[in-house]
Amino acid sequence: MLRTTLKGLLAQKRRLITTVFAVTLGIAFLTGTLVLNDTMRATFDRLFSSVYAGTDAVVREKAAFEGPQNTGQQRGRIDASVLDDVRKVDGVAHAEGSIMGYTRIIGKDGQPLGNPASGAPTFGTNWSDTKQLNSFTLAEGRAPRADDEVVIDKKSARDGGFTVGDNITVIVQGPPQTLKLVGIAKFGDADSPGGASAVLFTPAAAQRLVAEPGKFDAVSVVAAKGVSQAQLTERIAKVIPGGTEVLTGAQITEESQSAIRTAMSFFTTFMLVFAAVALLVGAFMIFNTFSITVAQRTKQNALLRALGASKRQVLGSVLLEAFLVGAVASLLGLAGGMAVAGALKALLNTLGFEVPAGGVVFTRGTAIAALIAGIGITALAALAPAREAGRVPPLAAMRAVFVGSSGYGSKRRVFPGLGMLGAGAGALLLGLFGSVDNALSLVGLGALLVFLGVSVLGRTVSLPLSRMLGWPLTKIRGFTGGLARENAMRNPKRTAASASALMIGVGLVAFITILAASTSASISATIDRSFTGDFVVDAGGGTTGGVDPGLTRQLNQLPQVEAATGLRIGSARIDGSPQMVVAVDPTTAFQLFDVKPQNGRPTDLGLDSIAIYKDVAQTKHLTIGDTIPVLFKDTGEKHLRVALIYGENRPAGDYFLSIATYEANFANRFDYQLFVKKAPDVDTQTALAAVKETAKQFPGVKVLDQAGYKQELAKPITQMLTLVYALLALAILIALLGIGNTLALSILERTRELGLLRAVGMTRGQLRSTIRWESVIIALQGTALGLLIGLFFGWALVAALHDQGVDQFSAPVTSLVVLVVLACLAGVIAAILPSRRAARLVILRAIASDS
Amino acid sequence: MTTLTTPTETFTNDTDVAISVSRVAAARTVGASKVFGAGDTEVRALDDVTVDFEKGRFTAIMGPSGSGKSTLLHCIAGLDSLTSGDAYIGDANLSTLNDRQLTVIRRDRIGFVFQAYNLIPTLTAIENIKLPLLLARRHGDQPWIDTVVDAVGLKDRLQHRPSELSGGQQQRAAVARALASRPEIIFADEPTGNLDSRAGAEILKFLRRAVDDLGQTIVMVTHDPVAASYADRIVFLADGRIVDEMLEPTAERILDRLKRFEG
Repeated sequence: MLRTTLKGLLAQKRRLITTVFAVTLGIAFLTGTLVLNDTMRATFDRLFSSVYAGTDAVVREKAAFEGPQNTGQQRGRIDASVLDDVRKVDGVAHAEGSIMGYTRIIGKDGQPLGNPASGAPTFGTNWSDTKQLNSFTLAEGRAPRADDEVVIDKKSARDGGFTVGDNITVIVQGPPQTLKLVGIAKFGDADSPGGASAVLFTPAAAQRLVAEPGKFDAVSVVAAKGVSQAQLTERIAKVIPGGTEVLTGAQITEESQSAIRTAMSFFTTFMLVFAAVALLVGAFMIFNTFSITVAQRTKQNALLRALGASKRQVLGSVLLEAFLVGAVASLLGLAGGMAVAGALKALLNTLGFEVPAGGVVFTRGTAIAALIAGIGITALAALAPAREAGRVPPLAAMRAVFVGSSGYGSKRRVFPGLGMLGAGAGALLLGLFGSVDNALSLVGLGALLVFLGVSVLGRTVSLPLSRMLGWPLTKIRGFTGGLARENAMRNPKRTAASASALMIGVGLVAFITILAASTSASISATIDRSFTGDFVVDAGGGTTGGVDPGLTRQLNQLPQVEAATGLRIGSARIDGSPQMVVAVDPTTAFQLFDVKPQNGRPTDLGLDSIAIYKDVAQTKHLTIGDTIPVLFKDTGEKHLRVALIYGENRPAGDYFLSIATYEANFANRFDYQLFVKKAPDVDTQTALAAVKETAKQFPGVKVLDQAGYKQELAKPITQMLTLVYALLALAILIALLGIGNTLALSILERTRELGLLRAVGMTRGQLRSTIRWESVIIALQGTALGLLIGLFFGWALVAALHDQGVDQFSAPVTSLVVLVVLACLAGVIAAILPSRRAARLVILRAIASDS
Repeated sequence: MTTLTTPTETFTNDTDVAISVSRVAAARTVGASKVFGAGDTEVRALDDVTVDFEKGRFTAIMGPSGSGKSTLLHCIAGLDSLTSGDAYIGDANLSTLNDRQLTVIRRDRIGFVFQAYNLIPTLTAIENIKLPLLLARRHGDQPWIDTVVDAVGLKDRLQHRPSELSGGQQQRAAVARALASRPEIIFADEPTGNLDSRAGAEILKFLRRAVDDLGQTIVMVTHDPVAASYADRIVFLADGRIVDEMLEPTAERILDRLKRFEG
C-alpha cells in the first residue's frame, strides 16, 4: 500500500507542487513569526541582562496605578534626598539617581528624529559615571561634563547625521535647546535601546531639562563586595520612605524583559493571526485537491478494493499521501520561515521598532509547532476525501465512472451549515457586545465558524450563485460565456470549495476596509461637529511629550490670530478607572471647539475642578458641585469638584481639566496639540503663513488646516490598512493558487471534451476564454460571499465600537467595487496557466484519450 | 504512386432528381505521407497517398488496423498534420494554414462524427447539434436545422443532456451536428463502432440519405463491411498505401476483397 501511495504521489507531482506550495506559504509565515519572536526575545533578554549586569538594587516610587491603553504602570518621581539615605546604608558601594523624560533630537535637516506618537519613545536621561550603573558605553568622544554637553545614541547620530563636536538641537521642557555633542554611545551592544532615541545629559541638566529639579526617577545601587542583592535590598528597605519600593537587580532585569515581551506579544499575536488565516485558506485548497484526485482515481481505488484492499487501507493510503504532502510542505515552510523572519524584522524596523542584531534563534518548539500545524492541517483537510475514497465499492472498477461532475448541492448540509453560521455569528456578537472573559478569542472563534458555516452552505448556494453570476456572461460573451457558466455549475462542491478559499481573504479585506472607512468617517464627523477653529498645530510628541506652551502664548499675540489654545494630556485614575485626560485653557478653548455645555459654565473650570461628559455624569449620578476622586501619579489622590457637564465627548473625551489643575498635578509641561482660530478680518492663507512662521521656532511641530488635520488623524489608520492588506494578500494569493489548481485538475478530467470542442471548431482563444470566465465566476462567487461576510463583520465591529467614538458606518463603495474588479482580475490571472495548457492540448490525443 | 482518378457520372437519387457530380473534389490529398517517431521506432502511417473525395458522394475508407485509415481521415480533416505532401479541403491547402485557420475550416466547412464521446455533457442536445454554429456566433439556417432534427428523430429530446440520451440517440445527435452547418464535407470515424446493429443501421441509412437527398459529401472510416456497403465507393488502405478501390460495393464483395488482403 505504501508503494502504491508513493508511486501515485510521484505520478501527479505537478498538481501536488501547488498544493505543497500553499501549505508551505502558511507554514513559512508561522515559522517566520515564531523565529522572529524567539530571536527578539533572546536578543532583548541578553540586552537587558547586560544593561543591568552591574545593578544590584533599584529604589523607586511605587506604582500609583496601571495606565490606560497599555501605557504601563504609572509612577511618580522620588525625592533626591532618598539618594543620600541610600548611600549611607551599609553594603552600598555606589548609588546614583537616574532621570528620564521626553526629549527629541532635531536632525541636521531640521526634522525631528523618531516618531514618539506611534513608534519607539524618544527620551533624555542622565549620563552615569559609575560604570556598573550605566547602560550606555561610549563608542566615540567622551562623557558630558558641563550642562550644555550631551551624548546621544549611535542610531540617532546616524539618522540625524551628527558627529562628535557638532551642535545639536533638542526639544526638552521649555524652549528647544542647542547643545554640544561630545560623545556617541551604544546601548549594551545595540546601537539604540530598541529603536528609541536617547539623549544623555549631566544629572543636573537632565533634572532641569527633562524632569524636575530635586527629583529622581529611580536610584540605582551597586553592592559592596560580599553583599548579596537580597541582603542589600533588605537593608535599603529599612531606610527608604513610604510610597517607595526597592527591587533587586534580578527583579528589575526580569521586569524590563517581560515589559518588552508584552510589547512584542501584540505583534506576534497579530502575525500569528495572519499565519492562521493563510493556513485556513490552504486547508480549503488541500481539501479540494484531494477531493478531485480521489474522484479521479475512483477506478484505481475500486480496483484496489476488488483486489483485496480493505476500506481502511484505501482510506489510509489517502491519509498517508496527505501526511507526506504535509510533511514535505512543512519542512519547506520551515526553511522558508527563515527568510520570512528576516522580512518581518525589516518590517518591524520600518515601523520604528529596532531589533538589535543577534543570531537567529530557531528552537525545537518552532520546528514542532510548524510540523504539527502543517501535517495536522493537511491531514485534517484530507480526512473527508480520504473517507470518500474508502467508500468506493469494488464494483466501481467494472463500471464506467462519469468523472467531472458531482451531484448538485446536497441539501443534507444546509442544517449543519446554518448551525455553524448561527453559532459563529452568535459567538461573534456575544464577544463584541456581551461582557465576557476572553472576548477576543470568542470573536475569533465566531469569525472562524462564520467562514466555515458559509463555506459548508456554499455547496448548496454555489449552483444558483454560479447561474446568477454567470448570467451576464451569456449575454456578453455569448456561447463561450454560457459554456463557462455551465462548467462552473457542473461541480458545485468543487466550485464552492475554491470560492471559499478566496472568500476568507476577500471577507477580511472588506471587513478591514469598512472598519477603516468607518473610523475615518467618524473622525471626520467629529471634527466637523466640534472643531470651530481654523488650524491645528500638532506637536508630534505623542502623549508623553509635546511643544513648549510658549508657542501658544506667542500665537495668541499674533494679530492674525483670534485665539490659540494648547491642550495638555496625561494619564490619571478617575474614580477608579485609568484615563487619558485632556487639560485646556477655559478662557480660549471653547472658542475653538464646542463641547456643548449642559450644566455649569466653561469659565468655572478652575483649579481643582473637572468637567464631565453628560452620559458619565448621569451613570455616576454626579451634578455640579459634587466631588470625584482622581489619582495622579505625581501628586497622589485629589478630590476634584465637578464644574461643568458637557454634551460632546469628542475630541476631549469623557473628562477634562483646566490647565491650572493640570499644572498643579503633573510635572509634564508640554502642549501636545494646539487649536488656532484666525482673526475674522484675515484671510486663511495669510493667517496660516503667520502661524507657520511663528511655529518655525519650535522644530518638529506641524501646522495643519482642517483637511490636513483629518488626514493626520487618519494616517495611522491608512498605515495599518496598508500593512493588513499586504498580509492578507498572502491569503488571497494562496486562494488564487487554489482556483488555478482546481481548474487544472478539472481540465485534466475534461480532456476529451475539450478535444471534441477543438475538433468541431472551437478556437484556442475561445477555449482559453471559456476557462478564464469559469475562473472569473468562481472568483466572483468567493468575492460575493466574502463581501457579505465582510459587511457583517464590519457592521458588527463598528456597532461594538460605537462607544469608543466610531459612530459612523461607512462601506466605501469605490473600494469595494475595486475589490470586486480585482477579484475578477485575480480570477483571470489564476486561469492563465491552466487555460494555456488546455489550449495547447493536442486534439487527436485528447479525442483518443481514455479518461 | 497510387493514384485514383475521379470518374464522372450521373446518378439518380430516390426522389428522381438528377444530381450532377462534377470532377471537382470536395477534399483530396497529393503525395500525403505521415511518419510517426524516428529512427528505429519510425512508423510510416501514410506513404505517398494521393486520393480525391468527390463532391456529393459517400466514400468509405477501409483497411486492417494499422493500415493508416484513421490517420488519413485525421489529416484530411485538419485534425493532424502531414509529414510531407498536401491535403486540401476544396481549394484550401491545409498544410499552409495556422491553427486558427484550420479551426475555422473545421468549424465552417467540415462536419464530424466520432466513434464515441461525440457530445459535450454540459450542453443540451440542441446546443450540441448547433455547436459549430454557436462557436461561429451564427444562427444558422433554422428551417434547415429543424429539418435535420426531424430527420434524426430527436425533436422531442432537444432539451435533454447527453447523459439522458441512448447511445443511438447520441450518435444521431452527432450526425445532426455534422449536418447542421451544411458543411462541404462530413468525416465520420467508425460512427457505428459503439452501437448495436439496429442503431448502427439507422445511422448509416441516415448518412446515405444525406448524400442521396441532400447532396452531402461524406467520408467514413470503418472496418465493418456492412457499414462500408452503404458507400458509393470504397478506398482500401494497407501499410499506409492505397491498394484498391471499389465502386457500388456490396457487403459480400467487400468481404471477398478483405479476405484477399489477408491471404
